[in-house]
Amino acid sequence: MKTILDAIACRGLPARDIKNANIVNLWALAWAISLGLISFLSKYQWYSPGFPTILAFTIQTGIGIGLLLAFIRFLKNLDEMERKIQLDALALSVGVTVVAFASYSILEKSGIVPDLKSSYLIALIALTYMAGIVFGRIRYR
Amino acid sequence: MKNRLKVLRAERNWTQADLAAALEVSRQTINAIEKEKFDPSLPLAFKVARLFELSIEDIFKDNADSV
Repeated sequence: MKTILDAIACRGLPARDIKNANIVNLWALAWAISLGLISFLSKYQWYSPGFPTILAFTIQTGIGIGLLLAFIRFLKNLDEMERKIQLDALALSVGVTVVAFASYSILEKSGIVPDLKSSYLIALIALTYMAGIVFGRIRYR
Repeated sequence: MKNRLKVLRAERNWTQADLAAALEVSRQTINAIEKEKFDPSLPLAFKVARLFELSIEDIFKDNADSV
């Protein structure tokens, strides 16, 4: 149990890596909040097409690019074993998502399951990525 | 890949944390290399060799060599 908790808490990583990870987490939080807020406003038609839409698109994309740049910086500066764990987790996440998406599409076309929502894919990517990191850290302990 | 990292470290009375700090990696990375769960990159292997003033071959052995 302690091993799993240590793996989740990324205990033992150099302070520089933890600082960079926290910066990525803050960008991810800002991205999620802005996405949720814009979706909420859009759902209740609190902003009209035109300038507000362009503004929302620009803000969301800008935060997304900031998140990507922070993540690239985080990966580049990482300790090499942790970088391998992160890249393996990303590969797992992409692989699982592609397979799940393709399989779900078959069921969706035959009407067995409801339409696929993009939020499900984002959640699947995030969950498999986190699981991959935890498994990776446990494997190398 | 086999290695003598643990022996070399013990000869110098260094902790894993000391070695990790000298090599600018995490203590977990040193632990994983010592347990032969993780093979270091070539730049890190050179860094290790420089630190111990040995050649890479004196520290790391390919598994095929020991057969």
